[in-house]
Amino acid sequence: MRRSTTRGPALGLLATALLATTGQLVTTANAAELVWARYGDLDSLDPHRATSTLSMQVWDQIYDTLLAFDADGQPQPHLAKSWEISEDGLTYTLALEDGVVCHDGSPFDANDVKFTIDRAFDEAQPSLTRTAWGPIESVEVVDPLTVKVSMSSKFGAFLPFLADSFSSIVCDTNTADTFGSSTAIGAGPFKLVEWVKGDAVTLERNPDYKNFGKPVENMGPPHLDRLVIKTVPEPQTRLAALQTGEVHIAEPPFDDIAAIKEAGELDIVVAANTGQNVFWEFAISRPPFDDIRARQAVAYATDPEMAIDIIYGGLSQREWCPIARGVFGNDQEFCKQFGYAYNPEKAVELLAELGYGPDNPLETTMFVWTGGNRHKLAEIFQAQLAQVGINAAIEIMDIGTMNARVKEQNELVDDPSPGTFDMMTWSWYDPDILYALWHSPGAYSGFTTPELDAMLELTRTTIEPEARLAAVHDVIKYLMENAVHVGLYTPGWEWVFAVRPEVSGFKVGAFLHPMFNDVEIKG
Amino acid sequence: MASVVEPARAAAGAPASRSFLGSLLRTPSGAVGLVVVAVLVLAALLAAWIAPYDPLRMAAGPRLAPPSWAHWFGTDDFGRDVFSRIVYGARLTLQIGVIAVGISLTSGLLLGLVAGYASGWTERVLMRLVDVLFSFTEIVIALACLAILGIGLTNAMIAIGIASIPFYARITHSVVLVERNKPYFEAAVAGGAGHLRLIFRHLLPNVVPTLIVVGTLGVSTAVLAAAGLSFLGLGAQPPQPEWGFMLSSSRDLISRAPWMMIFPGVAIAITVLGFNLLGDGVREVLDPRQRQR
Amino acid sequence: MLRYIAQRLAAAAVTIWVATVAVTLLIHAVPGDPVRIMYAKFQSTPEQLEAVRTSLGLDQPIHVQYAMYLGRLFEGDLGRTIVGDQPVLDVLLARFPATLTLAVASLAIAILVGMPLGFLAAYKRGSWIDIGAMLVAIVGVSMPHFWLGLLLLFFFALQLGWLPVAGSGIANLVLPALTLGLANAAVLARLTRSAMIDIFDQDFVRTAQAKGLPKTVVLYRHALRAGLVPIVSMLGLQFAYLMGGAIVVENVFAWNGVGRLAIEAVFARDYPLIQGFILFFASIVVIVSVIIDVLYAFLDPRIRYG
Repeated sequence: MRRSTTRGPALGLLATALLATTGQLVTTANAAELVWARYGDLDSLDPHRATSTLSMQVWDQIYDTLLAFDADGQPQPHLAKSWEISEDGLTYTLALEDGVVCHDGSPFDANDVKFTIDRAFDEAQPSLTRTAWGPIESVEVVDPLTVKVSMSSKFGAFLPFLADSFSSIVCDTNTADTFGSSTAIGAGPFKLVEWVKGDAVTLERNPDYKNFGKPVENMGPPHLDRLVIKTVPEPQTRLAALQTGEVHIAEPPFDDIAAIKEAGELDIVVAANTGQNVFWEFAISRPPFDDIRARQAVAYATDPEMAIDIIYGGLSQREWCPIARGVFGNDQEFCKQFGYAYNPEKAVELLAELGYGPDNPLETTMFVWTGGNRHKLAEIFQAQLAQVGINAAIEIMDIGTMNARVKEQNELVDDPSPGTFDMMTWSWYDPDILYALWHSPGAYSGFTTPELDAMLELTRTTIEPEARLAAVHDVIKYLMENAVHVGLYTPGWEWVFAVRPEVSGFKVGAFLHPMFNDVEIKG
Repeated sequence: MASVVEPARAAAGAPASRSFLGSLLRTPSGAVGLVVVAVLVLAALLAAWIAPYDPLRMAAGPRLAPPSWAHWFGTDDFGRDVFSRIVYGARLTLQIGVIAVGISLTSGLLLGLVAGYASGWTERVLMRLVDVLFSFTEIVIALACLAILGIGLTNAMIAIGIASIPFYARITHSVVLVERNKPYFEAAVAGGAGHLRLIFRHLLPNVVPTLIVVGTLGVSTAVLAAAGLSFLGLGAQPPQPEWGFMLSSSRDLISRAPWMMIFPGVAIAITVLGFNLLGDGVREVLDPRQRQR
Repeated sequence: MLRYIAQRLAAAAVTIWVATVAVTLLIHAVPGDPVRIMYAKFQSTPEQLEAVRTSLGLDQPIHVQYAMYLGRLFEGDLGRTIVGDQPVLDVLLARFPATLTLAVASLAIAILVGMPLGFLAAYKRGSWIDIGAMLVAIVGVSMPHFWLGLLLLFFFALQLGWLPVAGSGIANLVLPALTLGLANAAVLARLTRSAMIDIFDQDFVRTAQAKGLPKTVVLYRHALRAGLVPIVSMLGLQFAYLMGGAIVVENVFAWNGVGRLAIEAVFARDYPLIQGFILFFASIVVIVSVIIDVLYAFLDPRIRYG
């Protein structure tokens, strides 16, 4: 019904609408169709134009990657069956699997890899992944099944990146300007049928799919005929739809999880090793948060343990580090030394030093992104901040908008409005995320210093694990002491799935990659 | 939103004499409406004394407690007292009504007066513009204003105020059209009265009774609209105890804590009903032609 | 008659023209640099931002911008959305049938419930039926759409489990249409009642009754037809309110129409989409009101236009 392109007058549209509604009755789900409901929609089908997990989870179904994470989050061979790294660590030569085809029937080969990487670096494209790919200088097609990637300097996070959704290989036949909005050709387990923005992405089985390295049992095409990924923002609506069977998999409302477990009608799947981290960050371009004491006051004044306990029960953990559990370099005890345990008196003291007091509260705004009961978490933090004399207005927005607003805030230098702070989030498989965020100019134009730049560069060029760990720890210490990136909790979004009992084989891989390759619907 | 404006259209000006309040209380709708509005005003003024708890205080009681003697309307998911929040919410609601109607009424009145008095080209252009804005519908104008101003309760009030200017301008204009052809006005013009005197001494007093009716009914429209915007997340922001916003945060808990959904809704409905009844009552008093109905 | 239709069409054209001016001005009323706000999420270089500005024509003087905007408009090009980078018109058209379905279904409910109620109340004026009906109506008018929606959702979907709560099929239409329809039925009942009372008081009805015509004939042949005229004249406005109400109701029931799209666009500051929505919505309302005005002219033979 969604594809009406009638441009006639109102009456024509009326007819279309009525026809479309009745037409719905005919398309019943006799084939194996699984409906997965999520709280938000993807931003783009183009893996270079969005950063949200909601987008990545869809790319995972349409595209494939050269490497794949195993259950523990270690990169394994996938479309690339082997690789060689040159002596100087600057050149990667990857050998590709034979016989893989793109959704349009064209063979998947080295040209597709080159097309993808060149596109990510194309100056004419607004690309979000440029930094994440690393210091790539050139990509060379040696022969159809061999591709050579040359770097200008050593880059320790390249192989894990090739297992991440951001490195999704875009087939070189994606030349239409509808790519990303209504077309997308990949080599993943499902083909795009259509995407109705804000409503649903409909995918169908790719009969030619071959699995090499994904941690699933099925080495061939998926069992499902169709996979519909629907946007249903209200948790109660998702729950009701799960109960009636309109939806098979969805994030349940947190307040109902205990009752769902008790009733036993739905299975609860909790993802492990999500790589997710939720943290405070601040607009440091202008007062109040250009002063470290204001940032520290916020950190001392808020009590994440209490807040996540109230909102998520036992389903979320305190996270002291700027990178999540399971990611290289995460060490709770190490991070805690530089962390900010709840201490409202200390916060009041710091605020007093800055000239704030009961009659002169610090006015600011807290950005939070939608979904997962985070607005409630924010309300608790707001109340805690109010107790020490920080009046924080809350603005709730989708994650894409929040990224944009944060960048905008960081770039507003001479503005009379007070700087904002935000509950930000990232999911990443490697501490290299810290480079993307805090190495100048910074993905969101945030806090940068020359010494931090030097420290971050070291985390990239150091390959030997122990030395790299030390380099990463130096960065963590610096970020925390300066109250730039203050860890709050993990995981942070869509890590709890309620699954209908007739659905089997649903797995959530490391770093929150839901996999439908093994999924079957009984009855 | 904005579906209750229709009854005001028939209102025409009439002299307001006798004991206005006494007559108002004799009409059933006026009496009920007046009582509801009075209760609302009292709740807003005396919120600090009436509300048993601080409306923002978390853990004032257990989380999601059903209605009880300690918490008449139960508690919300932060353990805040719903009754206290509703009482304080009356303040915000009255503020919304007064500010939004204030904006639209004064601007609409001026526009309508000027257009009606000026006649000729000025009138045609102004009223054409008003017609155009009117056909955009209020919600679209409000959304456009919010897109420019940004989200928030104050901006929502302004947006609603701006959105109904065309409506008030039209009504004022229609009354002025009638008045300017009456003999007393023509006599005043012939007598050489100045522009300002003609507008403010002669036209304005005759527009006022109609606008009292329309304005009273308009408060209910504004309250509904603001609650709607807050419900959508475009108006009030946490932790404001605004009723529409409270309703929207009750959505996730509708099956576990229906009291969070029921009481704010009842509060909005009663408030809107109160202003609607009051408006009907005022019209009956001011416009005897309507009374027989 | 033709002349009247031409006049109404001209007025509609003026309205739509003003809408195009308004949306062009809208982007300039936004505080800050709209291009930076819109493209902040991409790691764009200043050169790329400049290119975007050029492609949107924002580097041109405002009258040139407006001319460019109009030019593109005539080609059916309303620009591209910021989120997802899709053609605005396609996005709107893809979602519009859902809104129209909801509005038409609600209007049907409003007419089927509201008009008989108002008619009955007028016919039995002063009786307890009249008082009861008008009480129900004023409560209905005072009830927020979204609250009624939540109540219906609570009882029918969650407590009784009769109806699905999310989706786009016929069964999913019931609750949102009922919500919007009942709320507008209340308005329509009040309108119908006062229109019919006017008619009953008029001479020709009295004359017909005095002539001894059967009551039903008087009712159907004379009063009802005459009473329909003012009601139809209000339907255009009703439809506009319905469309406005749909914006809220769609968000309660996750009904995937343009209303939900508009709210998402405001949150995401997707200005091209907001501009497109305003223009689109205003045009629909204006076109519908022209159609209804013309119908009205046909219905009421007493009115001569010219």
